[in-house]
Amino acid sequence: MSHSAPPRDAFRLDAALDVPSEPRTRAPVPFRRVLIANRGEIAVRIQRTLRHMGIGTVAVFHRVDADAPHVAGADESVELVGDTAVAAHLDGAQIVASAVACGADAIHPGYGFLSENAGFARQVAEAGLTFIGPDADTIALMGDKISARQFAEAHGVPVAPSVMPTGDLDAFAAEAERIGFPLLIKAAAGGGGKGMSIVREAGALREAARIASSEAQRYFGDGRVYAEVYVERPRHIEVQVLGDGTGGAIHLFERECSVQRRFQKIIEEAPAARLPVALRDEICAAAVRLASAARYKNAGTVEFILGADGRFFFLEMNTRLQVEHPVTEMITGIDLVRAQLEIAAGQGLPAPQQEIVAHGHAVECRICAEAPDRGFLPATGAVRHLGVPQGPAIRFENALRQGQKITADFDPMLAKLVVAGADRGDAIDRTLSALGELAILGVETNVDYLARVLDHPAFRAGDLHTAFVSEHADSLAPRPLDAAARDRALIVAALGQRIFQTLVTDVPEPHASIGAWRN
Amino acid sequence: MTLKLKLEDGVHEVEIVARRPHLTVRIDGRLHTIADLGPAGDGSGAITFDGARLPFERIASTGTTLVRIDGRTVAVDVVDPFDEGAGPGSGRDEILAPMPGAVVHVHKAPGDPVTRGEAVLTIESMKLQTTLVAPRDGELVAVLKGEGDTFEKDEVVARLAPAEGDQ
Repeated sequence: MSHSAPPRDAFRLDAALDVPSEPRTRAPVPFRRVLIANRGEIAVRIQRTLRHMGIGTVAVFHRVDADAPHVAGADESVELVGDTAVAAHLDGAQIVASAVACGADAIHPGYGFLSENAGFARQVAEAGLTFIGPDADTIALMGDKISARQFAEAHGVPVAPSVMPTGDLDAFAAEAERIGFPLLIKAAAGGGGKGMSIVREAGALREAARIASSEAQRYFGDGRVYAEVYVERPRHIEVQVLGDGTGGAIHLFERECSVQRRFQKIIEEAPAARLPVALRDEICAAAVRLASAARYKNAGTVEFILGADGRFFFLEMNTRLQVEHPVTEMITGIDLVRAQLEIAAGQGLPAPQQEIVAHGHAVECRICAEAPDRGFLPATGAVRHLGVPQGPAIRFENALRQGQKITADFDPMLAKLVVAGADRGDAIDRTLSALGELAILGVETNVDYLARVLDHPAFRAGDLHTAFVSEHADSLAPRPLDAAARDRALIVAALGQRIFQTLVTDVPEPHASIGAWRN
Repeated sequence: MTLKLKLEDGVHEVEIVARRPHLTVRIDGRLHTIADLGPAGDGSGAITFDGARLPFERIASTGTTLVRIDGRTVAVDVVDPFDEGAGPGSGRDEILAPMPGAVVHVHKAPGDPVTRGEAVLTIESMKLQTTLVAPRDGELVAVLKGEGDTFEKDEVVARLAPAEGDQ
């Protein structure tokens, strides 16, 4: 089983830590025990770095996760009580109390759940613990899309023309119409594609705003929506930044996250494909400007939308570790969780900007329980068979175990497959081969779909934009098996049937020809 | 001895032609020899198929068997000879929930005429909203769930009047 194997990224990260540009002469981080307020693959990944650093790990879990790998892998674990697992992981007071009770000195929030909750960061600080992340005010500033946008604009970071929200839907619609179409409606407090829609004509505007507002109200308890110019064939480019909290900030280059479905990323890579160096430098500099101006303290991600004309606009800043952080680790050799811990301990940035160098190319595929051929609807089932690809430049970030039920309780992302190569073409080839070796049977996944995306001529050419999935829907559909492949599959399936095997091996010849047969 | 299997949309017969010296089967008129069969059931394995090694991963079931070969997962159903000839079922008149979840918005009421593809309910499942649409033109006779109601996978959430000539 994969989760009991040694961490597969150990090779690369260990090698990276020996890079002379990152001397390891600083004092050890003064945390003895860190509580990880998360679950799944990210909890397991954070544990790995803590173990490397000799720091004790505390897991929290809801009873549905009692046998989960993030619990098994922790030095200590605390059960959270809650009606649902999600509710338990959102119960900040209970998590802080657990941390205090078990003597943890810091809390790492991972991503999702409470990672961008200013109130939680404040609770942690008030309990005398270190929150591995920025202070509550910075989270609040960046967590509200409108205040973040105003802050970005004030510090010379380009923002797209937009209409601010009002409580009055008619006034909002009238103003939004003046931006021109298409335009994008978004939730002020949003994220993850919720409360977001594209409007192409005036007639559809009011209804779209109503739906976005009600969705935003339900998810975020805040129904305010705003509208902005919609860039056609946009690319999603984001910059990994690190800030020390005193205005010092560096970037660890960009990631391209343009391949999305349902407004959520499925393939990310670093560096971005075919991005001119001058433009890349400009985008990264804008991100550093923002982090520095905010006196940002943590790892963070500044997201931009990039148009075909080279114009780029600020989208948002995520004040936490990002799902796709491993591609950056693989090209820079910097362990971002370690950097977060050192920054939180007041030890500053891992290296000055000029010593941050990118090597090669890395690709991440988000392995999701879903049905790509049916509108990417989430799928449920159980992991009845798990086969994990092996290789020195492969990270299979997961918390899966054989027999695990995949329910609607959590996000459909099951795991991340992250693969590095010498260049983009090499990274794509290696990822394709790793996807071929990856077997998750018993729940429908997007593994084969991801392989078709990576092998698509437009993807290989780096001709990416956020509507890639819908634009190439036809050529990304599965091709029917040819006769030879079909026969191979049929034989393997038939041999899986006990009754077929019995007939093949045990029964005297004449009986084998008897007709009707029932399983 | 023939095993009927369904793959993609076709039914194929795997016929045992000989068991010695090697297993020989006929599929859609093509003969294949197989050696190193391995045990039935789930797991990773490899057979020798027409002289070449064929590694595979499989979970076997008397219903749907999942096979991963050549970097691709395919579903193969055993066709039960006693079920053959049964119709495609009640799918045409009913709208089924594709996933467990909750109703966010009801667009239509019983008695409303609907056209194929028209929104009937908006549901939310695993934090994502999805619109359930009418499977064909017709008239709604029942909307079984209201806003906020929850449902299980494959639960009937709305029903159309039977199409004319269906009786």
